[in-house]
Amino acid sequence: MDKKKSLDLIKLEVLGCLNEKDKESLQAMKAEGEEFPWKVLGDYQNLIANLPLALELKYPASDIKDKAATKLYNIRDQIKAKVEARKALEMPAQPIEEISESEGIIEISENFEENTTIEQIEVEEKVFAEVEEGIHFNAEESIPGRDEPVKFVSKIKEKSEPENLFRRASEFEAKEPLKAVVDKDVIEKVARDYIKTHLENQIESLSKTVKKNRILSFILFVISLLLILALYFIK
Amino acid sequence: MAESNSLTDAEIMLKVAGYDSKALEQLYDRYAPILYTLIKKIVTDKDTAEEILSEVFVVVWRQIDQFDFKSNNVYTWLITLTRNKAIDVLNRNGGKILPEYNDDYERENIIPKLSPEIEAMELADVLNKREKLEKALGSLTDAQKYVLELSYYGGMDQGEIAAKLNIPTVTVKSKLQVAFGNLMQKVSEAK
Repeated sequence: MDKKKSLDLIKLEVLGCLNEKDKESLQAMKAEGEEFPWKVLGDYQNLIANLPLALELKYPASDIKDKAATKLYNIRDQIKAKVEARKALEMPAQPIEEISESEGIIEISENFEENTTIEQIEVEEKVFAEVEEGIHFNAEESIPGRDEPVKFVSKIKEKSEPENLFRRASEFEAKEPLKAVVDKDVIEKVARDYIKTHLENQIESLSKTVKKNRILSFILFVISLLLILALYFIK
Repeated sequence: MAESNSLTDAEIMLKVAGYDSKALEQLYDRYAPILYTLIKKIVTDKDTAEEILSEVFVVVWRQIDQFDFKSNNVYTWLITLTRNKAIDVLNRNGGKILPEYNDDYERENIIPKLSPEIEAMELADVLNKREKLEKALGSLTDAQKYVLELSYYGGMDQGEIAAKLNIPTVTVKSKLQVAFGNLMQKVSEAK
């Protein structure tokens, strides 16, 4: 390998001004391998990257961060696919049915049974109502419509808007956005459980009260009848 | 933000690789001024520059798996990526016929191909070298500075510079190489 030639070409490459012919020559030299001056290439790349330091520093407008966040939000599906692909590579092979049973749906309903409080029930009820209306996001997340840009978040907390936007964008991308979608089966199961654990007791106690009242009314009726008869005979 | 200041660029990049948006925000806060300065020098128009800056962070987010965590050179990777992106926009807006911009094109032409033997550099280290670099650049002749500018910030290849300056391509090549060599030498001397 002609070392001088390779060094000259490296200089032009890091400046980004190689023509096609020189590009090919350099590629061939790199492919040749061992003797290629990789260390020198690295040093030159670092040197050239320092050039912008000599410029007078300029600052972008503060809303550019929001623009970037909105763009990140728009590519959430792409990132989600990447994350899932990565997870699939990391996870050992597991049958699909098992995965769907062990994640998400069951987790939600079990939590409900064990830790349900009145507040939680209210939240769930709100979710039911929203699902009926066709909104597919969990009430806790206060998330705008799917195709709406992330602007909505800034309405919630304007002061830390940029930070929120970045975070919000990735909540969709990295944190399994499907979890935010409420499954109808889950809702039905949760509703059944709610009725079972709360309403059935009330119905039972009501029917007991009704029974007691009936007996009491019957006794009062008998007493009244006896009193009427007693008055008749006294006369 | 104290946490963000205590993390190195490489640590932040590692978090970005796990799609931690807070880390990307930290990276933005740290690098936006220098990247924007570079973009603004290349495209000059404010709106276009801001658009490119936001695009750069989208590319980082999408192509983070292309970053080499062995060499861990965050500074040079980001600067080179930004420069490539800005030059690409400059060329396209200038009517240059280029292949369709897609994932493959981006990986081939925008994502930097740094040497596997490159030394790691972080913004904090680089900022300390600013004075030395200005001194080294000051020692170049005006002609040398000009050809460096035309290639690095103007995105021109040898032929285009030759046409602009009305000199042979061979002369451009040698001027660039001499300018580069002098710069390298002056920076090394200043160490």
